[in-house]
Amino acid sequence: MSGQFHRLDADEFERRMVAECESGVPLGAYASLEGLHYLFLGSYGAFSLERSHLEGRAARAFSARFPLLSWDEREMHDEWDVRFTDLPDSRPLRARDGEMPAALLATGSGLMHMVVGPVHAGIIEPGRFTFSSGGETVVHLDAQLSYSHRGVEQRLVGAGALEAAPYVARICGGCSASRSLAYAQALEKLAGIELDRAVEFARLVVVELERVYNHLADLAASASGAGWGPGFARGMALKERAMRACQLATGHRLLFDAIVPGGIGPNTLLDRSPLRNELRELGRAAEGYMQSLFGNASVVARWKRAGSVSRQMAHAFGAVGPAERAAGGKVDVRAFAPYGAYRELGVDAASAVNGDAFARCAVKRDEIRESLRLIDEVLSRLGDARLEAPEVVRATFGSAIGVVEGARGAETVAVHVDERGRLTRLHVISASYRNWPIVARAMDGNIVPDFPLVNKSFNLCYACADR
Amino acid sequence: MTNPAFRTSLGIRHLVCGSCNGCEHEMNALSNAYYDITRDGWSLVASPRHADVVTVTGPMTAAMRSAAAETVEAVPAPRVIVAIGDCAAGAGPWAEAPAAGEGAGVDLGAAIFVYGCPPTPDAIRAGLEAAGDVLSRGDEPARSVQIGTPAWPAAAADPEATSSI
Repeated sequence: MSGQFHRLDADEFERRMVAECESGVPLGAYASLEGLHYLFLGSYGAFSLERSHLEGRAARAFSARFPLLSWDEREMHDEWDVRFTDLPDSRPLRARDGEMPAALLATGSGLMHMVVGPVHAGIIEPGRFTFSSGGETVVHLDAQLSYSHRGVEQRLVGAGALEAAPYVARICGGCSASRSLAYAQALEKLAGIELDRAVEFARLVVVELERVYNHLADLAASASGAGWGPGFARGMALKERAMRACQLATGHRLLFDAIVPGGIGPNTLLDRSPLRNELRELGRAAEGYMQSLFGNASVVARWKRAGSVSRQMAHAFGAVGPAERAAGGKVDVRAFAPYGAYRELGVDAASAVNGDAFARCAVKRDEIRESLRLIDEVLSRLGDARLEAPEVVRATFGSAIGVVEGARGAETVAVHVDERGRLTRLHVISASYRNWPIVARAMDGNIVPDFPLVNKSFNLCYACADR
Repeated sequence: MTNPAFRTSLGIRHLVCGSCNGCEHEMNALSNAYYDITRDGWSLVASPRHADVVTVTGPMTAAMRSAAAETVEAVPAPRVIVAIGDCAAGAGPWAEAPAAGEGAGVDLGAAIFVYGCPPTPDAIRAGLEAAGDVLSRGDEPARSVQIGTPAWPAAAADPEATSSI
């Protein structure tokens, strides 16, 4: 065992749960053959408070008191037969037999309802959004996802833990590298291996590149949401440049398979000097772009007060990543529970206070700068050092949790492995899964036409939330 | 009926059916300044009613099946379906996963399959050019057009590392 799982009796479980949900950093919850696991982030990484299965007995839902666990407990209820009696929202979380449960509507005099999706007008993943509004003002938004649910966790039960790695890399394109790293961390914890310092440096470059191309796309989309076409065009051109840098760094534009259990892929950081030069130039171009974006008074005016999330709301609904830090939060896994090369290189975690679209964009702007600084520092320290082939990972019996700071926040992967090195349970808690309920709440009191702007200021994925 | 104008005036509607969004990153790249498909007279359209081509991605999920079929049905003839990526061709990692099908392109009857995980923007462009050719000729191709080769299964981790299980 990795020592991350703490099995508790009912009273102790209840007491610790309340304390951790109130003042700790919750990551999410899931059921396995072994029991019910509620995950939190401590300063040494993730840990699980765990209780035995209820064997058909009714249980109180923690989400009745801590709404951030609502999706997790609904999933446990729907798919693991955990009989929660007081779920605040007892509808199935996912579509069943192709049918989505009815949307939750606000009703009353003068309120109207508008349904959008699951097919959207742009190149966007599928989801159904049901707005209850009084004229332009949104009273309630119900975001129902799961149209991209493929059953990836079930599909991988019984798979060899190492063979599963390229599948894990393809659960979601936009956060592939972060999830690969979280998965690798979990298997390396089980095997009890530490990696070469240079390999940890290389991994940092990969996941920071992922943050850079994602954040550039988010800024571009947020410019578009504010109606500034040139800001979108310039931002998307910079994102393309970042994706080409990813190709240069790893041989893949979206960094697939660049991080593997035990180390890095065979094409990762082969030729570092042109990469460093290109990223410096990209940094200068991005700086000019961000200056013009944040210097554009009409863009800034649209961003301010759009989709505001208070610190209390962010905490209650379990926001992570830039969504949390833009609302006055302080949790960046890289700084809170440093792993790999972040133990050696400090991260200056960005934050803001207003929790609106402007604050989220400002946090992402600061993170682009910090990511490029970290990459440059690491490439300088790496020099021409030889990068080792992956360590031999023996996937042994036990359970472990990996957690890393992806572009959208904490990316968590829990694995349970049998004596023969096969997965008995894999659970993915993506930053998007955590943040989607916040997107819906951020729309309260906003106008319907601001939804694209508010949505893009979060820019969450659907594939890793639906799995 | 032949109409060469299709080659330079494609209306493209994109439909996501359980993709990991990797293909969407590359579809979006078609509109950036490097690939700019508007130069070819092509546009990404917001309604299936305006479309000549439907690009589809993903293995097809149970939840998307009816919405996807209705979207394709809403596209007026002549129309061509282009499957983007290994998943849509039934050759990706999630084919036949518990809530997934055998590929959106297979399911919806694509005439053109663009392979890759994800395919590059240039490969997607080639697929759209092929769609323009099909529409311009005005006849159904006898067999589906294949562009590129499957990138999945990915080269796994070091084989030495995997031999331990």
